[in-house]
Amino acid sequence: MSDNIENNNQNMVTVYIDDQAYQVSSDNNLLAGVLSQKLNLPYFCWHPSMGSVGACRQCAVTQYQDENDTRGRMVMACTTPVTDGMRIRLTDEQSTVFREQVISAMMTNHPHDCPVCAEGGECHLQDMTVMTGHSTRDYKGEKRTFTNQHLGELVGHEMNRCITCYRCVRFYKDYAGGDDFGVYGSRNNVYFGRQQDGQLESEFSGNLVEVCPTGVFTNKLFSAHYTRKWDLQSAPSICSHCAVGCNTSVGERYGSVRRVMNRYNHDINGYFLCDRGRFGIGFVNGEQRIRVAKGINQQSPERLSSLDVAKALVHHKGKRFIGIGSARASFEANYYLKNLVGDNHFSLGLSADEMNIAALHKNFLAKNAAPSLQEIEQSDFVLIIDEDITHTAPRMALAVRQALRNASIDKADLLGIPSWQDSAVRTIGGTSLTPLYLIQSHASKLDDVAEQVILQKTKTTVAFVNELTEMLNTHEDVICFEHQHSSLLNQLLQAKKPLVIGGWGSRSDELVSAISEFVECLKQSKYLENSSLKCLLAPPQANSVGLLSLMDEQSLSVEQVLLSVEAGGESAKRELGIEGIILLEQELQQFNPQQLMTLKQSSLTIIALEHSENKITELADIVLPVAAVTEGDGHFVNYQGRIQPFYQVHPSVLPIQESWRWLGLLAKAIYPNHALAKEAKSLNELYQLFLQEDGHWPIRVNEAERATARETHRNSGRTAKMANNSVHEVKTTQSQDHYRYSMEGDNPKSSDNMPFTWAPGWNSNQAIHQYQQHVGGELISQSADDITQQSLDFTDVQVLKPCWVSQSNNGSEKINPTAERNFFLQKPWHKEEWQAALVPEFILVEQVNAVAVSKQMAKDNHWQAGQWLNTSLLDGYDNQVLSTAAQVFIDERISDDLIYGEFDCSANHQVQDISLSIATDEQVIDYQNRLEQQKQAAKTQQQQILVRLKQQDQYIPIRLVAGGLDDA
Amino acid sequence: MKAMTHPLTHLVNLSAPLNLEQYSELGGYQGAKTALVEHSPNEVLEIVKASNLKGRGGAGFPTGMKWSFVPNFEANDPRVQDNKYLVCNADEMEPGTFKDRLLLEGVPHQLIEAMIIAAYTIGANKAYIFLRGEYHLAAKRIQKAIDQAYQANWLGTDIQHTGFHLELYLHTSAGRYICGEETALINALEGKRANPRAKPPFPQVAGLFGKPTIVNNVETLCNLPHILKNGVNWFKEVSPNSDAGTKIYGACGRVKNPGLWELPMGATIGQVLNDHAGGMSDGLKLKGLLPGGASTDFLMPEHLDVPMDYDSIAKAGSRLGTGGLIVLDDQNCPVAMVLNLLQFFAQESCGWCTPCRDGTPWAVEILTRIENGQGSIEDIDALLNLCDFMWIGKTHCALAPGAVEPLKSALKYFNDDFMQHIEQGCCPYHRGH
Repeated sequence: MSDNIENNNQNMVTVYIDDQAYQVSSDNNLLAGVLSQKLNLPYFCWHPSMGSVGACRQCAVTQYQDENDTRGRMVMACTTPVTDGMRIRLTDEQSTVFREQVISAMMTNHPHDCPVCAEGGECHLQDMTVMTGHSTRDYKGEKRTFTNQHLGELVGHEMNRCITCYRCVRFYKDYAGGDDFGVYGSRNNVYFGRQQDGQLESEFSGNLVEVCPTGVFTNKLFSAHYTRKWDLQSAPSICSHCAVGCNTSVGERYGSVRRVMNRYNHDINGYFLCDRGRFGIGFVNGEQRIRVAKGINQQSPERLSSLDVAKALVHHKGKRFIGIGSARASFEANYYLKNLVGDNHFSLGLSADEMNIAALHKNFLAKNAAPSLQEIEQSDFVLIIDEDITHTAPRMALAVRQALRNASIDKADLLGIPSWQDSAVRTIGGTSLTPLYLIQSHASKLDDVAEQVILQKTKTTVAFVNELTEMLNTHEDVICFEHQHSSLLNQLLQAKKPLVIGGWGSRSDELVSAISEFVECLKQSKYLENSSLKCLLAPPQANSVGLLSLMDEQSLSVEQVLLSVEAGGESAKRELGIEGIILLEQELQQFNPQQLMTLKQSSLTIIALEHSENKITELADIVLPVAAVTEGDGHFVNYQGRIQPFYQVHPSVLPIQESWRWLGLLAKAIYPNHALAKEAKSLNELYQLFLQEDGHWPIRVNEAERATARETHRNSGRTAKMANNSVHEVKTTQSQDHYRYSMEGDNPKSSDNMPFTWAPGWNSNQAIHQYQQHVGGELISQSADDITQQSLDFTDVQVLKPCWVSQSNNGSEKINPTAERNFFLQKPWHKEEWQAALVPEFILVEQVNAVAVSKQMAKDNHWQAGQWLNTSLLDGYDNQVLSTAAQVFIDERISDDLIYGEFDCSANHQVQDISLSIATDEQVIDYQNRLEQQKQAAKTQQQQILVRLKQQDQYIPIRLVAGGLDDA
Repeated sequence: MKAMTHPLTHLVNLSAPLNLEQYSELGGYQGAKTALVEHSPNEVLEIVKASNLKGRGGAGFPTGMKWSFVPNFEANDPRVQDNKYLVCNADEMEPGTFKDRLLLEGVPHQLIEAMIIAAYTIGANKAYIFLRGEYHLAAKRIQKAIDQAYQANWLGTDIQHTGFHLELYLHTSAGRYICGEETALINALEGKRANPRAKPPFPQVAGLFGKPTIVNNVETLCNLPHILKNGVNWFKEVSPNSDAGTKIYGACGRVKNPGLWELPMGATIGQVLNDHAGGMSDGLKLKGLLPGGASTDFLMPEHLDVPMDYDSIAKAGSRLGTGGLIVLDDQNCPVAMVLNLLQFFAQESCGWCTPCRDGTPWAVEILTRIENGQGSIEDIDALLNLCDFMWIGKTHCALAPGAVEPLKSALKYFNDDFMQHIEQGCCPYHRGH
């Protein structure tokens, strides 16, 4: 196992554990050292990401001065540094007895309600109890009880199970910066919760489920349709809700997705996910799912066959189609589509403005390697320019928050206190933080830890960034330069590991261009010679970077696509030779009803490949049901260009299948002579096709990867599982990748790709340290040729000149309305992504429209904080006015030319104008009623889904081959 | 002459404490003047070190040595801090102990003078008195004294034209025993939960608000003016043994004359109990005693000749602690007494570490059963196991080991009583009632 364990940059020393010599890193504490040797030592309060505080006393070991010392001294391993030659025992009597005593004391008040606990079977407390040998209960007294709280729709609360390890509050407050959760009471009556019942406000609240060693905090969505961990069928997946590309492990049973758990990735998500990723998977089971093909005549009512598809498309044989890709479809599908329709008929589904940003982004990636979240956490200066990463990439915001602690860690280091001594570092650090500068057009959830927040409209920010560049360019000695913002530049230039973050959030290509120039100029600066500047642009969606890697100067903007439609279907057909449009998981959010009507009325054939209903599937001529992220194999390319695989967690119910499989069928019908017009049975086959066509296809799969089980070794009786249908042992479904639909198989060669985390004695996700090179480090890979970490290479891509001129404004001069406007509206962070917005639980999360104005504006208009305003939003695409009530709050930091807010309504980035007036009572009541109706509808939907899924549990769909339509 | 034999208490006036003028007339603030005018901070530090003054809060750590741990970095050292703090620990909550209250209510200016000397020595410009919440009268009197000191330029900027600045604040506690632990006290002072901190860093390096901080007990500090005024030799000679100075001893329980007495360090238990507290009340016999507050081991009648200094009491198997005797007579149930004490410790546990949080209530549960006659012989073993479980080195701070001390020693000395409870199925002391 330890063949290629790299102890990169670790200071290894010899430690004698139970008289045996081990090489242990002295950079971490003794507990981490012991666990890194894959030895068992129980613990609770310590967490590899949150360090040591010495509260639970569970990890006690006996330390000896030398070989002759027979008495030894008990120490807590988590607070003990590793020193060369140190001698400890894990098996001596005094520490063994003490560790059992600790558990038995913790359990005095534990309710022992394991049968009804959602943590059962993957409970760290259960594991540690068994590990210490505590097996009889001696406490004869009464147990104390607590009243639980309603913490919202996502996280359940059962305080009686608490063993008071303080991990929850340390994560929620100290690590994630939440302020609505805390610790109350004292003695053996310590309470973890909120001041009063209510939705947890942190976007990382779901991590409490994993951080808690027992069942105090549980995943409500999982509990609602509960199964034990050992009955789940799992596969490694990638979160599809943003471009960070957090690694997840998705669990399924009886054909429905049950939950998302964190899958450790040292470079990216580490141990934590955001709530959008954890709780946003419900769309897979959703009511909006498309389960049958539309616009295709089926020979057999039971099944759709390849022949049916071929027949339906027979008239289009050899005709030209425009293909519109999307940033939530897999890299394979987008690549396939582009190669089928041809470069000059391929659109990324972006507007001309967005195309310009994409082009700039591509150029940016060519010059700048984006840092991983792990690298972000090392920063000693952070500048974020008009990009609210708490919305677009929440996990990245959490990494930035950790970077800000480096000031404290450095201070502690001067006093000889290592960074893992968490409480000591916080004592020494006090309030000192690494500088974070936020330049943005609205408040964000990082404001509380920023050195300075500069709130201004995007246009001002463009000028501001240009000014910074100018200063760098023209002034020899910027450090001494007297300027309003010289502290920003000074701190940036004095930093050793500065980080600059921009993104698509402003929707302004001018700003992205300005940031690119600023970064280039910084790299030239003499001050940064000895420092490593990192910079990145945050793209909006899971596969945005994969998609923009396919972009070239021939790529079409959606305006150009629309033009060809508007030109009149017939003339388009005649003049451009275009038969129709293939939309690949593309909902064309930018299109207004009028444009959608044009699309509908044109005589072009609209083929939509989609997993859930939307405006496009309503009007499409042919709709092909595609697999959601958990139902198929594919890759997403994250913001860095990292190509990450997601695997089928469960076979989809036919005719639902992956987009790339549908494209194979479409290719055979429409482009029979095309080299790619073949049905690939697996991704491996597909890549062979791609490689024959284009030697540059970047993704390789390891064909030598060994069979790996999707099911746990303890999966409940395989033969009994479907006994209500048949008592015969059913053959397992044949998989097209190396994950087997059974409990047979080994661990994958690379621990990066484990379907779930489990090790003997470690049933919870904390088992991960058994697969890490050292605690908190890289995962162990046993294959010499590790292809699990692949990236797109942008370094020698052709530089694209932004050239997509918006033609929607009657060909008038290009204007950039987004940079000009003086307001900025966001959707709630958990609904910002289309798929997440389909999840009923997120609709139930309490949310009130809010609009922030300056003090002066409030004064002039006699508005009080908390007052209801009627907000009229003018949608730029269809000139429709959308009115909604919103609560006003006053932001003293902004000037009169800025308004911002968070709105849960359909209009968003397209809003052109905003007007505010005091709302009438009717308007407020109307809004509140609408909100209530929405909630009721979501609740009903939630219940309907649950009823349907529970019925489905009785009848398990059986598939023997998990790839391609079943034409048998 | 009382000034030389009873330095701490000779100016105590509980009905009307001396105001600044009266206090100064009787020799007050001379110690501070000596320190500020005649000595450099380092010289004061050397004087305090030489005096062998030990902390009177219970642990008996040499005060000068504690002070010397405050780092003295060069101005350009990146570790140098812009501020240091002095904190007076006046959170007197040890059961059976009330010596600091006497000093706080009876002679508040003595403490202020002492704090000026201490702050000057360690280079602190801000100081806090962290006062037990229930000490209302002391709060009133100290605040008044602070106001007078500001007016008389004994506090504030440029004190007595020496260039030394000191801001002194009174902070009244919300009332937790654990605040007596210096790092829990610091957390409480910062407005955080009163959990003891991890050490290192020690407060001398990173304490209040992350700055170097010295926390000293009231009685410890109050010795300073007299050491400065009367000299190291006097201080050492006041006491017959190596633990220099005087000590305020107390006695409570069913003795004839409970109270407090300032005696040379090293008076015997018998002297305190019989000569000053007047012996046991009529008809009662001494059964045992806790020599220095609730968190010390029981001592027995055969220990009456043990001098009450740090080493002698330790040799007898207990700790000097606060020097306040809690006396148990032969008519009161030792099990009930230990139960009462453990209830206090369980109640006051901060809830941070497992042995203390869950071990002390467990001990209470067992003791309750034994006291009610429902105990079994296994319970004695269970209690002994808990004593091991909560002992020094296994817990985050000294609270739980403090709770173990009376429990463990009671199990040793009063084993017969425990066995009688178990065998008779009731409390033998309460049978007749």
